[in-house]
Amino acid sequence: MAFGLRWAATRVFLATEIRVQLHEWLAIAMGTLTPGALLIFVAVLAPGLLPVTLIGALVYSMFLIGQRVLNEAAYIRIDHKLNELYHASPLSPEGYFVGIAGGMLIAYLPPSLFILAVLEILHPLSFLAIVTLAACLLAVWAVSSTIGYVVSTLFKDMKTIWPYSALLTNLLGVLPPVFYPFSRVPMEWRSLVLVLPTSAAAVLVNAAAGLEEVTATQGVLAAVALTVEATALFAFGIYWARRTARER
Amino acid sequence: MIVATDAALRSQPQRGRVFPAWAFIGWRWVWRSPAAAVVPLLQPFFFLYFLSMITDPRLFPLQVAGAMLFSTQNIGSWCLADSAVFRIELRLQDIFVASPHDKLRYLFGVAFSNLIPALPAILLLGVILEMLTPVSWVGWLVLATCILTIWILYAAIGIAVSSRLRSQREIWPVGNLIFTLLGILSPLYYPISFLPPVWREFARILPATYAALLVQGALGFAAASTEDLGLDAGLLVLSTVVGLIVAWSLYRWRES
Repeated sequence: MAFGLRWAATRVFLATEIRVQLHEWLAIAMGTLTPGALLIFVAVLAPGLLPVTLIGALVYSMFLIGQRVLNEAAYIRIDHKLNELYHASPLSPEGYFVGIAGGMLIAYLPPSLFILAVLEILHPLSFLAIVTLAACLLAVWAVSSTIGYVVSTLFKDMKTIWPYSALLTNLLGVLPPVFYPFSRVPMEWRSLVLVLPTSAAAVLVNAAAGLEEVTATQGVLAAVALTVEATALFAFGIYWARRTARER
Repeated sequence: MIVATDAALRSQPQRGRVFPAWAFIGWRWVWRSPAAAVVPLLQPFFFLYFLSMITDPRLFPLQVAGAMLFSTQNIGSWCLADSAVFRIELRLQDIFVASPHDKLRYLFGVAFSNLIPALPAILLLGVILEMLTPVSWVGWLVLATCILTIWILYAAIGIAVSSRLRSQREIWPVGNLIFTLLGILSPLYYPISFLPPVWREFARILPATYAALLVQGALGFAAASTEDLGLDAGLLVLSTVVGLIVAWSLYRWRES
């Protein structure tokens, strides 16, 4: 199939997905609850860490989009069997994957913009920090949507999905230094957390915003790891979407 | 007129089988999906790890006791999800409505089946608490009573709210909204004195606040006189009774 044809229906599907998601205003609002809870804990117990936690909340919100992709893709496929209709249409499998991921990104952007506005009030960001933030959030979105989509294709029952999505968001969103400073991580774990997409993004943005100091080696390691993971995983997501377009 | 449920079938057992069956439902879920067993076990520890990174280490025993209450409170969210799936997807509630199993036993069965996956985490947290600080038998008794009270109340709230949901899609956001908010607003992970005054007053509306105050006072994490503890216990009972009445009136057993 020619490249143009392959992506022909993506725009329409993306618009459909955005519309569908915007009807789920409650789910959009609820996506802010976990970062909101952690922000409240920080505000009560360690108010000095609020700017770091707000950046963490932005990174976590992007990572949470993967969980929403997981739920949505599984819901469309398992409950509604709607993906069969989509795949029988001119919409390509990769257009379907990018449409869901992109639709989620746009629909779930308003809460992140609100957090960004609060961050700007508490700790104004430089131009470099804003560019770093945007690049890192896009990379986290690419990683998390791919993980969400791939995991969603592995299940046949909606009820068995939530523990895995909760495990992923906790392992990559709460444990590593996303909501708290990198400097509090024990020395022996620092290299590991720098290659995890969420903590790498948080460390890079914190450094660019002047909230934390990292060495050049640590900065390069985090940037390279995040770039490679985002590119490779998103490419894998497209490959996986083509491979699993039909139920086996 | 004699209907099917009135007929006494002597060849089949009529009593004592349903309760173990509910326990089996809880166990089967854990058994079929290992992650479902591991995640509830790990969830409070993820939170505790985060708190240990940002707070004074002296608060850790209080936070472990708070995690026991928080894990119990979360059972309400699982009850909400389970009873919504039973009703909306599996249409299982209709079968219970048509059976001799009444509304109250159904509610208790769902709550009991969801206590089972949470128990390992609660017990493990109890072991950690004992390792961190000596707890008297009165302290354990207060803690166990508060856990039981919170379990009954929040399971009832979860099931009552679930009966108002129309789609499985609403389970995640509604469950999150209710139980995360209730979990954050009550001072489970820190002393109530840490809260700003307005929030402190608002927290006093919630039953889990009194459970937290009672546990923190009984375990010696916060200064509390016997009168304070008695008042907290009375308010916990009162708010639980009010919560149960609201949940009972909200709950729909039959589809209209």
